[in-house]
Amino acid sequence: MSDQYSTEPLLEMYLFETSQLLEQLEQSILSSEKESGYTEDAINEIFRIMHTIKGSSAMMLFDNIAKLAHSIEDLFFYIRKEKPEKMDLSALSDLVLEGVDFIKTEVDKIKGKSPADGNAEDLVTTSKTLLAELKQMNAVPDISLITPAPVAKSTAQTTAEDILETQHYYISQANTPVSNGTFAYKAVVHFEEGCEMENIRAYTIIHNLKETAGDLYYLPADIIDSDESVNIIRKDGFQIFITTDWDYRKMHDFLMQTIFLKDMELTSLENTSVLDQFKKKDTELVEKPIKMPTGKEVNVVEKSSRIPLQEKEALPTNTTQSIISVSVVKLDKLMDLVGEMVIAEAMVIQNPDLKGLQLSNFSKAANQLNKITSEIQDIVMSIRMVPLSATFIKMHRIVRDMCKKLDKDVQLEIIGEETEVDKNIIEHISDPLMHLVRNSVDHGIETTEERLEKGKPKSGTITLEAKNAGSDVLIIVRDDGKGLNKEKILKKAKENNLLFKNEEDMTDKEIYNLILLPGFSTKEKVTEFSGRGVGMDVVTKNIEAVGGTLSVDSVADKGTVITLKIPLTLAIIDGMNIKVGKSRYTIPTISIKESFRPKESEIIHDPDGNEMIMVRGECYAIRRLHDVYRVATNITRLSEGIIIMVEQDEKTVCVFADELLGQQQVVVKALPQYIQNFKKIRGLAGCTLLGDGSISLILDVARMFNH
Amino acid sequence: MKRVLIVDDAAFMRMAIKNILVKHDFEVIDEAENGLVGLNKYKELRPDLVTMDITMPEMTGLEALKEIIAFDPNAKIVMVSAMGQEQMVMEAIRSGAKSFIVKPFKEDHVIQTLSKL
Repeated sequence: MSDQYSTEPLLEMYLFETSQLLEQLEQSILSSEKESGYTEDAINEIFRIMHTIKGSSAMMLFDNIAKLAHSIEDLFFYIRKEKPEKMDLSALSDLVLEGVDFIKTEVDKIKGKSPADGNAEDLVTTSKTLLAELKQMNAVPDISLITPAPVAKSTAQTTAEDILETQHYYISQANTPVSNGTFAYKAVVHFEEGCEMENIRAYTIIHNLKETAGDLYYLPADIIDSDESVNIIRKDGFQIFITTDWDYRKMHDFLMQTIFLKDMELTSLENTSVLDQFKKKDTELVEKPIKMPTGKEVNVVEKSSRIPLQEKEALPTNTTQSIISVSVVKLDKLMDLVGEMVIAEAMVIQNPDLKGLQLSNFSKAANQLNKITSEIQDIVMSIRMVPLSATFIKMHRIVRDMCKKLDKDVQLEIIGEETEVDKNIIEHISDPLMHLVRNSVDHGIETTEERLEKGKPKSGTITLEAKNAGSDVLIIVRDDGKGLNKEKILKKAKENNLLFKNEEDMTDKEIYNLILLPGFSTKEKVTEFSGRGVGMDVVTKNIEAVGGTLSVDSVADKGTVITLKIPLTLAIIDGMNIKVGKSRYTIPTISIKESFRPKESEIIHDPDGNEMIMVRGECYAIRRLHDVYRVATNITRLSEGIIIMVEQDEKTVCVFADELLGQQQVVVKALPQYIQNFKKIRGLAGCTLLGDGSISLILDVARMFNH
Repeated sequence: MKRVLIVDDAAFMRMAIKNILVKHDFEVIDEAENGLVGLNKYKELRPDLVTMDITMPEMTGLEALKEIIAFDPNAKIVMVSAMGQEQMVMEAIRSGAKSFIVKPFKEDHVIQTLSKL
């Protein structure tokens, strides 16, 4: 990459935009494939995207990407222009998708600061072959010989022999004379090297001179539609013969204004005889009007005339200015600051110095502050929310590729993709989701023959659904495949010592959920797509890392349903603060069912000495926090403390603590690494700062008592 | 300081051009991501110079150029083109574009072109 463009933000923008365009391109191809044909819009879009990627990559000096994009652009330029009737759609889709994959890989390399050194030659060749085939398939013999597609021929490809062979000089007269011309000049103009498109630069001069010229001839004359003219101009310069009313000074100054002018020679001609010789040849004006298809222009006018003038001007400007892109780093920082602000607010309002004081004005102001901070917090949260659609849509490609390779027929249905979750969470669930979809196609859905035998519809269906459920989002991956095999799971679990209770005592659901345990995989054969030595346990781990949970359900021959429950956001939760001895803990309010002071008479002891409590006829285990975390406290009698009934993941436990401190919004902070890694303390989701400055540990009740 | 409007559908290109211009005493007053937005912004802001990409959705650079010239015949518009678009650049010059730059462009090419207008 040249220094000129190596500035970080530009590279970041390149990576961002290219990735975005690739996603768009992939979708465009997939939906075209589904509709078994490319619409005009799709072709235009693919062409434009490739054009953009080519341009940006060339600027960043990623030549392999630029070259590949260029060749695909050429292909679609042809399709766009010629609208060929016969096309090998599948080959075309394959090429573009492979191209997308190639560029994606390169982009990833660049992101990882490694050189983008992939070789796209094969793909470029495929693209060129495809273009040639396309031309051949759709050639109307006579016409195609006369008008080769303009893209195929660029200045760079014109060989030296070409130039020699076709190096004839044309002279032509420009527009109808405006003045008779009192002076005659000859000018030779040389352009700077590397300025590109010299013929059009020459044309620009002629175009601007036309107004003042009497007679105007130039050499080479076929500057408009000849590639050789570029080489002639580079070698010999661009010659102009003109009669005009302009004096030498004016003419000289005009030509000196030419952009990328290297040098220029202007000679006054004694008489116009030089020009006469051109006249004799009677060459006509070469300038052919190149018209845009008029239909397009009419369309635009029609469209605009329908909208009232004021609206027309206001509308597009508004829509574009209402959206800006912001770097995620800044949003993270903002989120952090809001978190700090929530803590600071609590520190002020719940300051121990204020205890017992009657401060009505202060309370009013504090309420106002509280209102504003929670509004800010809501807004900041909503800024970070991203719809799941992008993640979901990615799965189309995975299903398509796998179906092709495994020779299965699977439809992917997407429901509720507009559901939003925090940006950070999306990043964490993309991989697990991909894994689940792969599993469904590979292990779940049967082959077409098997399906027909079972009397099922020929093509399998995988449904990807997202919906809100309180402060969580449910993502459901459902397939109508063969379902999980209970016996196999049990057998495997036994082999690996994964059974935690008696086989007979286990519910179906418990058996199915065994597949989520580490070291479990029933597929004997490892395929390309799933079972790469990692199983569902990795999925579980990823989902748990963002505070989510996973559950499996299945019916033989009907299919499997995997449900992911993930929190909307990681950052701020409503929590109930409790006290045990000198320590503080926070329990997410959402999981608290009730809290009460137990009577001694309600307590039951089982033969192992475990404490239980009867509540409305149901029996619940009691866990004393001071025992679990070995905290010294004076309150050890159950009737003196408080019981908090917590429900999480369909398990209910009663937690015993000294007292409730109150409810507040808490900012979830990650536990320090050394606690996470070395101490392995169970059941902690993070920590937070309370209003009085003390640290409180946030409890993950379900995990605390899993064993 | 000349006021410039950048019209390009690629955010990367807009940034690349902007980065160059701001280093050389041009003021980039706004950006537009297609020809239609570009046209409206031209009418609203009356920039001294416009850089105009050719291949864009909604309204191409050529269409926008013609509309702008029809609105203001003295508009100074520089086309941002790529190799292979010669015919379109020619059409643009004929329709009133003052000059053009060719992608991938170099910093001094952009500056040379724009400062001569």
